[in-house]
Amino acid sequence: MDAGRESGIEALRASVTVARPPAEAFEVFTAGIARWWPLRSHSIGEARAAFCAIEPRVGGEVYEVRDDGQRFSWGRVLVWEPPHRLVMSWHPGRPLAVAQEVEVRFTPEGGGTRVDLEHRGWEKLGEEAADARASYEGGWRTVLGTHFAGAFDRRGA
Amino acid sequence: MAYEEALQALADPTRRAIFERLRKGPLPVGRVAEGLPVSRPAVSQHLRVLKDAGLVGERKEGTRRVYSVERHGLVELRQYLERFWRDTLGAFKAEAERGRR
Repeated sequence: MDAGRESGIEALRASVTVARPPAEAFEVFTAGIARWWPLRSHSIGEARAAFCAIEPRVGGEVYEVRDDGQRFSWGRVLVWEPPHRLVMSWHPGRPLAVAQEVEVRFTPEGGGTRVDLEHRGWEKLGEEAADARASYEGGWRTVLGTHFAGAFDRRGA
Repeated sequence: MAYEEALQALADPTRRAIFERLRKGPLPVGRVAEGLPVSRPAVSQHLRVLKDAGLVGERKEGTRRVYSVERHGLVELRQYLERFWRDTLGAFKAEAERGRR
């Protein structure tokens, strides 16, 4: 789970509180994703993106559909625990082999819900390189461990 | 998704090898290509992709072009992702709370 931290590449975190109980927040986040996800700016098809969805089960696909009907996978549901937790593999527009992970937790807070999102697994980008023969001195892990960690650690949030 | 461009660029093993070489310091294209199992035009093409993704910079030194890692690009990638999730979670909050203010 915390592989990202072990490899020294800080996960990205973001939180928001909503004035709704966890069950409702989870429902809006998953079943209602097409109602709020900013597809125009946060999608593969951008202006041509028409729809997006999370199939509500482990192994379910997270995807976007373009206006011509073509479907693009963003990832798969890895953990499905309504109304507490959702984990997805995350690789919009990229090969599955370099998928990262996005975990979303829903915690009761006051009468509402705190939603904590963690985007992690940056070391996946290096696995391909690690599998390949070690012909490049230093190795990709070093790049990730220095440049990426450096860039990704320089954060206020 | 703009940040995907940087990640996409680095998903290719040859481009990672090129990026890795530049990590040690700026190099002209000939030196970047040395020992790589791809043609020099292909290396130039890979450099262009890295450059377009904001990960590599290029400057002229006399008659040659010298390439270097654009550290700023990685910081931008991080900032972009932070903004990405802040925006989407903000949109989610607005929808979840819609009609009950």
